[in-house]
Formats: sequence, C-alpha cells, structure tokens
Amino acid sequence: MNKTLKIYKPFAMNELKRQMAYKASFYLFLVISLFSSFISYFLWMAIYGSTDANTLGGLSQNEMVIYIFMVYVTSSIVTISISEWVSEDVVKGSVAMNLIKPIDYRMSLISRAIGTMIYQFMVPSILVWIGLEVYKVTVLGMDLTHLSNIILYLLSSVMSFLIFVLFDFCFGMIAFFTTYIFGMLMVKDALISFLAGQLIPLSFFPEGIQRIFDFLPFSSMIYTPVMIYLGKYQGSELIFVLSRQVVWVILLYILGDLIWRKVTKRLVVLGG
Amino acid sequence: MIKRYSRLYKVLISQFFKVIMQSKVDFLMGLLGFFLTQILGIVFLYLIFDKIELLNGWSFEQLIFIYGFAQIPRGIDHLLTDNIWLVAWRWVISGDIDRYMLRPMNILFQIISEKLQPDALGEILIGCILVAKSISAGVSHITITNVILFFLSIIAGTIIYTSIKLFFASLAFWVKISGPFVQFAYQMADFAKYPTEIYTKSIGFIITWVIPFAFVAYLPASYFLGVENSLGIGAYIIGVEWIIAIILGIISYNMFQKGLTVYESAGN
Amino acid sequence: MITVKNVSKEFVSNKKYPGFKGAIKGLFSNEKVSKVAVDNISFHINKGEIVGYIGSNGAGKSTTIKMMTGILTPTNGECLVNGVNPSKQRKINAQNIGVVFGQRTQLWWDLPLSESFTILKEIYNISDQAYQESMTFLNKILDLYSFFDRPVRTLSLGQRMRADLGAALLHNPKVLYLDEPTIGLDLVVKDNIRKAIKEINEKYQTTVILTTHDIEDIEELCSRIIVIDNGKKIYDGSLEKLKDTYGTKRKVSMEIKQLNAFEGIELSETLGVTPDLCSTRLDVEKNTLEVTFDKNKLQVPQVINAVMSIADVQDIQIQETELAEIVKAIYQHNVAK
Repeated sequence: MNKTLKIYKPFAMNELKRQMAYKASFYLFLVISLFSSFISYFLWMAIYGSTDANTLGGLSQNEMVIYIFMVYVTSSIVTISISEWVSEDVVKGSVAMNLIKPIDYRMSLISRAIGTMIYQFMVPSILVWIGLEVYKVTVLGMDLTHLSNIILYLLSSVMSFLIFVLFDFCFGMIAFFTTYIFGMLMVKDALISFLAGQLIPLSFFPEGIQRIFDFLPFSSMIYTPVMIYLGKYQGSELIFVLSRQVVWVILLYILGDLIWRKVTKRLVVLGG
Repeated sequence: MIKRYSRLYKVLISQFFKVIMQSKVDFLMGLLGFFLTQILGIVFLYLIFDKIELLNGWSFEQLIFIYGFAQIPRGIDHLLTDNIWLVAWRWVISGDIDRYMLRPMNILFQIISEKLQPDALGEILIGCILVAKSISAGVSHITITNVILFFLSIIAGTIIYTSIKLFFASLAFWVKISGPFVQFAYQMADFAKYPTEIYTKSIGFIITWVIPFAFVAYLPASYFLGVENSLGIGAYIIGVEWIIAIILGIISYNMFQKGLTVYESAGN
Repeated sequence: MITVKNVSKEFVSNKKYPGFKGAIKGLFSNEKVSKVAVDNISFHINKGEIVGYIGSNGAGKSTTIKMMTGILTPTNGECLVNGVNPSKQRKINAQNIGVVFGQRTQLWWDLPLSESFTILKEIYNISDQAYQESMTFLNKILDLYSFFDRPVRTLSLGQRMRADLGAALLHNPKVLYLDEPTIGLDLVVKDNIRKAIKEINEKYQTTVILTTHDIEDIEELCSRIIVIDNGKKIYDGSLEKLKDTYGTKRKVSMEIKQLNAFEGIELSETLGVTPDLCSTRLDVEKNTLEVTFDKNKLQVPQVINAVMSIADVQDIQIQETELAEIVKAIYQHNVAK
C-alpha cells in the first residue's frame, strides 16, 4: 500500500502543480465555472416566480438554490475528464511508453484525477460550499446542513468520483480508434449533464423516463450525492442508492479492465 | 488586392474541405456534439414549461426564438474564425504567429482563412430550426423589412462575436495565454440566451453595455417578437447593433495590430 | 542590402519561483525580470554575400534574425533590409525575403506539398510564368517532384527541409534567412542542401544569412562570419581572420620510439616558457608525443628542436587549430576580446 502510494503520488502532485502554474487562468476559471450556475439560478428564480406552486419537481425554491450550487460543488470534484488525457496520450504516442513502465495506466490516470479533484475541491468548491451555507442561514433563514448529511454526502461523492472516472476511462478508449475525440467529448458532456441531473433535477422527468435512469450509472454521478445532501433520501432508500453506487464502482472497474486488455492486445499487435 | 485575397481564401477553403472529407466520422461527431448540447437546452425549457404557463411573461415559443436567434451569429462566428482561439491558447506562446508574419499578406486574414470549423454547422442548424419552428408557431410577422433586418442583425451579431473574441485573444500578446479571458467573455454569451430582465440590474448592464451580447440576441430578438420592454425597442435597435459592431470591430482589430508589435515569438 | 544599426532587444517577463511553494507564491507576486537578448548590435551585409551568424544557444542569434524578418520589433535601433524597415513595412519586406526555420516547418501540415506551393503562389502573387520557371529550377536543385504529392506530415526530415527551402525560394527573394537549416539531417542531405544554397546564391545573387551549429556549414558556405555572444557582437570578418585571431594554439604530434625518455620532463621548462604556453600529452599505444603551444610565442622549429634534443623523432605532423575548437571556445565564452 505504502509502495503504491509512493509510485502514484507524483502523478497527483504534478497535476496539482501544473494546475497552479497560470495565475490568470486560475482566477478566471473560478468565475467562469460559476457562470452557468448563476444563469440557472436566475432562470429558476424566474421560473418559481412564474408559478403559484410551492414545489416544482419535489423541490421548493430554497431547495432548488441549494441543488444548483451543490451540483456545482459536486461536479467540480466528480467530473474530471480523464478521457481527454487518454486522447492526448494517444496522439503523443505515449501510451505505449506507459505499457513498458511497471505502472498501471488506469491507476496513473486516476491518481492525476485525484490531484485535480483535491485542487478543485480546495479552491473553488469549498468556498462556494461555505458561501452557500452562509447564504442559507443568513438570507434563506434555514438551518445549517446536518453533519450526518454532510458525511453521507462526502461518502457518496467519493463513489461518484470513482464511477465517473472509471466510466470515463472506458469512454476514453475510443481515442484508440479515432483521431478526433473532441466531438465525442462534447456528446458525452452534453449527455452526462442531462442524465446526471446537472442541467435539471431528474425528478422533473416523466415517471417512465426516471425508471430508465435508475438503470444507468449517470444518476449515481451527481444526482444521488446532491439529493443526499438535501436529505431527500431516508432509511432503506438511502441504503439502496448508496449500494447502487457501490455496484456501479465494481461493474465499471471490471468493464474497464476488460476493455483495457482488449485495447492493449491490439496496441501490441499494431504498435502505437 | 481584394481579388487576390478572395482568390487565396477560395484556395485555402477548398483545401480545407478536402481534409474534412477525409474524416467524415469526426465531422459528424462534432456536428452532433454541438447539436446535442443545444437541443438539450431546449428539452430543459420544455420540461419547465410542463410546469408553468409563462416565464416572466414569455411563452415557450418566444423563448425558443430568442434561444435560436442567439445561436445563428454565434455559429457563423464559430464556423469562420475558430483559429482565433488558437491564438489565445497556443500560437503566441509557441511562436506559431511567426509564419504568418513572414508572408506578405494581412496576418489576421491569414489566421482566419486557414480554418473552417465544420462543427459549428450544428449550431447554425439548430438556430435555424428553432427560429423557423417558433415563427411557424406565430411569434413573429414575416415582412420584407423584417427579413432584411433579420439578416442585417445576424451579420452585425457575428461581427460583435468575432470582435469580442479577437479583443480578448489579442491579450495573449501581453500575457502569453489569454484563453481563459476569451472563455470568460465567450461564456458571457450564455446569459444572452434568455431575456435579460430575469437577471439582476448589474448583470443586465454588463451584458448590454460592457460585453454587449444582449445586442446580439435578446434585444434584436425582442424587436422581431414585437415585445415592449424597458428600452422601448424598435427597428432602430438593429442600427444600434451595427454601430456597436463597427466600434468593437475597430477597437479589437487595433488591439490585435498593437499586439503584433509587442509579439515576442518563442524561445525566450 | 542589409543594415543593422545599434539594434537591441529586451524581453520582460514575470518572475517564476521554483517548486510547489513557488507556484503558490507566483499566484500573488507580480515581480518582473528583464533580459537583454540582443545588445547594441550593428553590421552591414552586401548583396550576394553568404554570412554565417554564429553563437551559443541563447546568444541572441534567432532574436536578431527575427528582427530582420519583421517578426520582432527592436527595443532600440533600426534594421533596414533592401531599404525597408521590416517591422514597420512588414508586408513589403516579406515579399523581399525567404525564411527557413530548421526546427519548424512553415508548410501546411495536412496538405500535400503541391498544394502548399499552390497556396504560396497566391500569397506571393506569383505569375504563372514566373512560377513555372521557379519550380523548374527548384526541382532541379532540390528534387521536389519526387515527393510533391505527399502530405507534409508524412515527409522525412530531409525531404521536409528541402521542401521548406523550396517554399522559401519560390518567390525568388533577394534575401534568404536560414535558421539552422541542416539540423538533424544526415550527411548526404546536408551536402545537397549546401549545394542548393550555393547554387541559388550564384544564380540569383541572393544574399544569405545563416545560423548554424554545424562547422561544415560555415566552412563550405560562408565567406564571412559574425559571432555573437551574450547578445553582443564579438567578431565580424572572414573565416581566415577568425582562425588567425582566435586560433592561437598550434599542435605538433611526433612519433618517438623511446617515449619513456619524456617521463618526468616538462617541455615548457626545456623551452624556457611558462607552462600555460606549452603542454604535452603522451600516447603510449601510438608512440606519439603531442605538443600544443601558443603560435605567437613559440615557433614550430623551436619546439621540434627541443623535442629532438631529448629523443629521436621518426615522424612529424603539424596541425592548425580547427575551426571547431575555436567555435567551441567561443561557445564556452572562453574567448577574450
């Protein structure tokens, strides 16, 4: 364990340093990343202002504010696109180099992702999170989020992170078959933002479609931890969604392993 | 002179098409990516309008018109001048501007003419579909004046988009990488997809007068929709849009030219 | 043809700090550092000259070239190329010059080479007839047609360099700048490139300025050399004069049977000079004694006599200091002015 840590820690640290290198981008991305959250905020305020109903899709106006910004916090620590790194490596031809080193390629990518996650959590996310709690108490007049919800949220988010990167690793394998992964990435981002509940809470979809979502890994990426944070799951339902996350981690881990074996076999045959 | 430039543009673009045709799958995926991103925004509105009648007094069809109308100039700008992004992200720091400076033609022209971004056709397509769909639902009257103004507005809107992009990309000559700035400005355009009055006054002011994306989409769109609002919109709004486009065009082009004089190439 | 007058170039950049803590510190600091890359350089180059512009990495070679081509604007001073100020009248200047950067192609990466030439024909506004003439000549000296239909990215380094040289010459420029044109090429290709450069120079009286780390480039092509170090011009003149001025060392190697006779003997003492003016090296396997000495202080016969006074000499070889060693000394900043 200690040895594994020693091998993969540099990947995480390097990524962290690289991210801090450009100060202008550092501050700007912080603001840019919040743009779409603020647009949704204003849009939702207008939406709630246009109806007499107290709740929409099972969420009150205040809960919607929390939903929007917790989606931001969760996304910034969960959706770390390792498939882009894979495509970079494929273009540079450095995947083959990775094969001869005694390290697991997937592990090195995930370590890099952890570096990014820590960075994004430290800088924008925790500030937004604290800001949100302050806003809740002072402006919305609500109580602070209960500690048990926070712990369960963090636990669920870590699994969300694993589900996302393990999924994205499988997705990134496309890079071995096409040179232009940019279009694919856009399709992926668009679909995930929709299916994971980033754009709109999944409870807004018709019942039938929601049932389908239950069988896809995407709702476990964002929607589940945010709803846990809001305290929308209790008792057996809570245990169910958490176990569902565990199942997805295991399934995607195995799937990624199988695909990687196929790809490396091809890589060895074709050279790359 | 103009003949020489247009002849070169034709040569470069036809070359570019040959390259695209060699990778049809990539082309289709890019198209689909942009198309999907935008269509999901519409599905979002659709799900919302399942729960409410009007949003701040706007109907679903009206919002669709604004949304679609905003996509067209954005898509055209994206199609024609996508290389400006590379100036912002890479070419200044890597010294790739060198090769354009060694040739006896306008540098900005050379940079822009080297690439068409076919992905953008997805944006233009969705914009046209949404505008057509909402007009067929009766949100606007088709008159000759309106049709002419519509095209004039789209041209001016494209110039505004390109100018804003160029202005922030030119900062790269001073700060090396200005990609985040361009992204910042460009992302502001997302605010213009919805009626400005849903935002606070300060945000409304910024997207109207500082980074004037409201003039690209929301303001002219509300003229075509025949909606009254705080600015008392009439056909003159297209004129104001043109004035802004010209001013911004001049400012950002000069910024770019000034940037070239402080360009440091690579290797230092 | 080219006049460079008191030209300087200074670069200002943000200060960088090392390490992880440094990255954090850099976020909040705004310190600037400035670096003078070219420091008050002047020279004049006549039409038809081939000038070697040499110096170590970071000495300011590329920066000077970039100022003469109009890419960089000088901080001080002025360049005039064919009567045109490159940074102020960039487009006019561009029509007069051709440039090859060895490290980076200026061709269109994804397009067939032929298409790159078609585009350049439009860019430089070349008439059909002039284009035909140029292409015939360039194909003769660079053999471009053998890979004319292939995309540039698939060309070998040698082919790419020939293509780049051809592209730079298509509009028959008055001045040709070559920044390390033979870097990374094999001997045969290097030779072809050099021949081509010579031929162009002879046929069109093209002025050529070339930076290189390859001594043979200089020896075979350049009639004149400008040496730059730390941004300052330290030498400007012919190759012979450079050897005379800086090549003060001379080497004599002698084959001697009883080499052990020299063990423990300092030849400088025998000659009555200080040790830094004369040094020896014994090669037991080849039975040779190598004496390196300052040719301004000692004569060859003196040295040979001194050696023969100790042991019999069977064979003598006298070597002039090679240009490579002079350049090496220049690059290591070992040359006194």
